[in-house]
Amino acid sequence: MTKRILRSILLVAVIGLIVSTGATMGILYYHFGGQLEEELRREASYLSVSVEKEGIEAFESLPADAERVTYIDTDGTVLFDNRADEDAMENHSDREEIQEAFQQGAGTAVRESDTLSQRTLYYAVRLSDGKVLRVSSTQYNLPGLLGGMIQPILIILILMAAISAWMAYRVSKAIVDPINKLDLEKPEENQVYDEIAPLLTKINRQQKQIKREIADAKRQQDEFSIITENMEEGFVIIDVHTEVLSYNSSALKLLGAEESKEKRSILAMNRSQEFQRIVEAVLSGRHVITMLDFGDRSCQIAANPVFHEGEISGAVLLILDVTERMKGEQMRREFTANVSHELKTPLTSISGFAEIINDGFVKPEDTRKFAGRIFKEAQRLITLVNDVIKISQLDEGKLPYEKEETDLYELCKEILRRMEERADAAGVHLYLYGPHVKVNTVQTILDEVLNNLCDNGIKYNKKGGNLTVTIEEDGAEARISVQDEGIGISPEDQKRIFERFYRVDKSHSKAIGGTGLGLSIVKHGAMYLGAEVKVESTLGKGSKFILVLPEK
Amino acid sequence: MRLKFDQQLEELNRELIKMGALCERAIRLAVDQLMKAEAEKAKEVNQIEMEINHKEREIEALCMKLILQQQPVASDLRQISSALKMISDMERIGDQAQDIAGMSKFVQVQEIAHTIHIGEMAEATIKMVTESIDSFVKSNIETARNVVKYDDVVDNLFLQVKEELTGKVIDDSQNAEYYMDLIMIAKYFERIGDHAENIAQWVEYSITGEHDDSEQE
Repeated sequence: MTKRILRSILLVAVIGLIVSTGATMGILYYHFGGQLEEELRREASYLSVSVEKEGIEAFESLPADAERVTYIDTDGTVLFDNRADEDAMENHSDREEIQEAFQQGAGTAVRESDTLSQRTLYYAVRLSDGKVLRVSSTQYNLPGLLGGMIQPILIILILMAAISAWMAYRVSKAIVDPINKLDLEKPEENQVYDEIAPLLTKINRQQKQIKREIADAKRQQDEFSIITENMEEGFVIIDVHTEVLSYNSSALKLLGAEESKEKRSILAMNRSQEFQRIVEAVLSGRHVITMLDFGDRSCQIAANPVFHEGEISGAVLLILDVTERMKGEQMRREFTANVSHELKTPLTSISGFAEIINDGFVKPEDTRKFAGRIFKEAQRLITLVNDVIKISQLDEGKLPYEKEETDLYELCKEILRRMEERADAAGVHLYLYGPHVKVNTVQTILDEVLNNLCDNGIKYNKKGGNLTVTIEEDGAEARISVQDEGIGISPEDQKRIFERFYRVDKSHSKAIGGTGLGLSIVKHGAMYLGAEVKVESTLGKGSKFILVLPEK
Repeated sequence: MRLKFDQQLEELNRELIKMGALCERAIRLAVDQLMKAEAEKAKEVNQIEMEINHKEREIEALCMKLILQQQPVASDLRQISSALKMISDMERIGDQAQDIAGMSKFVQVQEIAHTIHIGEMAEATIKMVTESIDSFVKSNIETARNVVKYDDVVDNLFLQVKEELTGKVIDDSQNAEYYMDLIMIAKYFERIGDHAENIAQWVEYSITGEHDDSEQE
């Protein structure tokens, strides 16, 4: 803008300068032309007076630098000329000014000289004797005049151009500066030029609109990121060049990538071969659902190509962490296999004994013994099925039990009383310590849990050992610990004892009895009650199971 | 024009990541072949090695095209020139993985491998390769420098393996042939470590513009 203003001002100045110089010169030229003619006329009239008085002798007193004077006879013959040899001059009667003088008493003529840079003014006057006196003067014509003055004129022109350029620069700056200093954040507060007020109003309006739209976009973006950030599933959107457009933190976690402010390819988040193949497949327009392992997590990936106007413009990848589900499925499969195996063992025995009796190989007096065995195995089967039913119920978490107030001391006393007989048989002494703590809980399940713990405490105790049940109250929690002095559990086994059908000592399990589901029931029961089970154990010295109950 | 250039640079980046991933896989398979008896991976390694060679040509052509058509300067030029250097290191890693896989086919070699520290050496080398590629992918100087430092670990393991093998060759000269194979495998691992170190140094160069070649051989 400054440039444009500067150029315009300069242009105007230069044009003005040239036109005014030209005009001035023209006016001056004509003015001087008229003056010269006047002078010639005056000079001619003076001369004519002296010539009429003194005749031809009058010319002798002419100064050397006088204008050219020619004296011409009535027939046109030149009688005298102070600049030329009059004898050599031709007859002048056909000259315009002379003829005019003969006819009208005076005449003028202007003739351009051969060199073009000069012109000659002639003035002729007829004397009383009929002869003509002519005075002439030479002056520069317009081009000649210009030629002579071109240097000073150019200097003036350049000088003027420089001055006007400087002025133009200052002026244009002065015009533009306020515009540059406009505060566009608050366009309406500027009072610079009335001419740009509409523009400022428009800017103001647009600014408000932009702000509103940005706020809208930001809100939508926030909503989107709040939704995606709270998703467990990983979520990545990529464009057709595999560049990541959007993602959530779950995706970073699952893909094992790090946060990055820069734009990057999804391959920079994970570059495993399988993942590359998925990305390639989805960007070639196929819908992909597949399982993939990232480190120790199993993930299900669903990838959908995104089409825009019939062409693939990107893809959306959804990554689901299915590790827990896979583990659960794995456990269920193992459980089914184990249950089938555990059920089959007693059944085989029963079937075997029954077969022998059926075949008549058993003496009548032995039949009782065999029946006893069959009964024992059947009992085992029933216990096992009962345990499986219990654990399934706890697993489902849909037991119809109501909570009721329970005195822990009374409950433990009752359980230990039930155990007395078996404890005597195993030579184990039972002890119970602690206050009467009342807890609001599901009594049947708690009974089951404690029953299992105490049962184990007797089964895995040494002969003559003690089983101590201690009840403690600790703030809002109630603790029941069951301590035995038996074989103990090694740290490696401690991690696994709550698994279904896990037996520490596999070789003696038949002798000790039990289904291998006891501690599993304890764990599930405790989970149902919102309680926590802890184990402290030293191999060979005994174990302590602690059940921490939330009191209310 | 510039937009196209940026896209091409991104493409270069992507291709490098892919090539890096191929190298990681090649060496992982080669190690599986050596350490896990049931694995029959040599063929797959050969195939990946061919893929790596192919990728090298592709990336080379892309770099040349970028240099000729776009005449990059400053960091762009650094990125491209270091890419050119990196791919030759990656290609060597692929070759060496192939050699390792080829030599590990013999059961005797696999058995001996379990009695010496070559397993740890293999893991350390894999770690170096993975981290050097990681440092490139994430443009992380810290990781790159760690890789350069970690090379000493691999070098020391190589010396240890060499000593172990020397002892064994004296005691059990009948199987000398396999010990020879193993020393070569160990040397290949050591070389792969060096290549990973080179890659890390080029990553550092492409970020900082300074290339520390004092540790280069």
